[in-house]
Amino acid sequence: MIRFISSILAILFVGNALAQTPPTIRFGRGFAAEEQLWLMSVRKDLTPNQGKAYNLNQILFQANPERFQAFLAGELDGGTAPGLAVIFARAQGVDMKIVASICLEASGKGIFTTQYMVKDDGPIKSVKDLKGGTIAVVGIKTATDLWARAGLINAGLVPDKDTKVVPMGFPVIGDAVRTGKVSAGTFVEPFYSAEMAKGGLRTLFTAVDSVGYEHELLDIFFGEKFLKSNPEAVRAFLSDYVAVTKYYLANTEQAKSDLHKAGFVRTPLPAYLKTSDWKRTPDGRVNVDSLKKLAVFMHDKLQWLEKPVNVDSMVDQSYLPR
Amino acid sequence: MKRLPPLILIACILLAWEAVSRSGLWNPLLFPPLEKISRELVLFFTRPESIMEAFVSLQRAFAGFALAAAFGIAIGMLMGRSARIAALLDPLFSGTYAVPKLALFPIFIFVFGIGSLSKVALVFLECLYPIVIVTSQGARGVSRVLLWSAANMGASRAAALRRVVIPAAAPFIFAGLRIALPIALIVVIITEMVSSADGLGYLVIYSLSSLKTDRMLAVVVVIAALGWLLDRALVMLRDRLVYWEKLETYYV
Repeated sequence: MIRFISSILAILFVGNALAQTPPTIRFGRGFAAEEQLWLMSVRKDLTPNQGKAYNLNQILFQANPERFQAFLAGELDGGTAPGLAVIFARAQGVDMKIVASICLEASGKGIFTTQYMVKDDGPIKSVKDLKGGTIAVVGIKTATDLWARAGLINAGLVPDKDTKVVPMGFPVIGDAVRTGKVSAGTFVEPFYSAEMAKGGLRTLFTAVDSVGYEHELLDIFFGEKFLKSNPEAVRAFLSDYVAVTKYYLANTEQAKSDLHKAGFVRTPLPAYLKTSDWKRTPDGRVNVDSLKKLAVFMHDKLQWLEKPVNVDSMVDQSYLPR
Repeated sequence: MKRLPPLILIACILLAWEAVSRSGLWNPLLFPPLEKISRELVLFFTRPESIMEAFVSLQRAFAGFALAAAFGIAIGMLMGRSARIAALLDPLFSGTYAVPKLALFPIFIFVFGIGSLSKVALVFLECLYPIVIVTSQGARGVSRVLLWSAANMGASRAAALRRVVIPAAAPFIFAGLRIALPIALIVVIITEMVSSADGLGYLVIYSLSSLKTDRMLAVVVVIAALGWLLDRALVMLRDRLVYWEKLETYYV
């Protein structure tokens, strides 16, 4: 009898404990420009809701297609993705929504925007001179591809016809430009700072120049089902996210040091501390208008979308703290 | 009748795919139904630019494969018939066979440029190994009785090579070529996926980046069909040239 009662109590205890376990957010992350998100795993002391309202499991992915495939396979609840990648996904009917902004391509003092550079002493003085040449981007149908094509179109060139656009890994683009294997290449931090330190390259245009306006670079997305079934967990997560973003912006050097120490960043610390950063909004609010403009550009000018995408329906900022 | 079981197996795989696609267990974007893939396949063959992409990939694969065949057969024959050359080259080939040459692709880009040449060079390198190794085994294994008979009949070394060694090694040479041919196609597709603005590999990555899995799978079907056709063509050529030894394998 005593054994029976103790078994019932044990079951009740375990059941109660399980009921109190907060949901785990399986979160697909990338390897660049997501500092405040990484900090949520490195500095849990900055995230009061973590462990109480949600648990966070960040999983590293090298590229967007793999991250989206994992999401489609039900292995992820959410993640980070460039706005245009979510536009692609929504065009294919993927049930995901952008809930917050991570960083933007913007210009201004101390703000980094993706650079397209050429050889300093080379023949290319303007984008028009890229006719007959090759421009290196980091992947097909990525943001770097979009900006390259936008830059070429602005200069009256036809991408692929007048100028080839080829994918190449960030680490090799610098040498590819220097050795003339490609006419121009895409540079982000920390590769941009490293190449500038070496000298011999100069900026031809930037991501902001190419489209002509400040726009979303990286965002946080969640699956719609997860949002509906775990709204409180997402709210708590975004509340912590906004708090960590504010901390990051106010204590960038300390935050970067912590991330470096935790192994999230491999760049030598002094170089990492010197690099300029993308624009991050402290409240995590998404620049929806810029996504709309990008979606129109992708449809009208690049023919990357078969039909227009309703951007309003793919953004839901109601989970962000008011 | 002999071809029926493999066809049944393929039909079973297709049925299983369709069942998975329609089950709702997985997202149809990951497992698109056969109807969607077939539609993309029809689109592929009706678009001249898609045919051009296939042509570009085949050109690259053939160029690298042909170079590897020419050099590989020559090196393999030398290694098979000369102990000195074998002693010199065998450690190099056997020691570096397992190296994934694809890892060298960034270096190839710097040496040969981002266009076709770097891809052709990598195809050449990947295909060279199986051709050299299998050819050298064939050349080494030529029956001494045949060689002695040729010598007794007054054949010169060149004549013995031409009329005894090469024909005796021919089944091995074709075995090496048959191993290398799909490698050529695989390497071309992968290199085009890594860094290219054209070719079937580019189409694969382009479709994947747009989450158009049905289109990507249609390209994969085209690649598989090309691989099968090339293999059939090579087997036919082999059966014509090596008519005294019919290829009897369960997979032909």
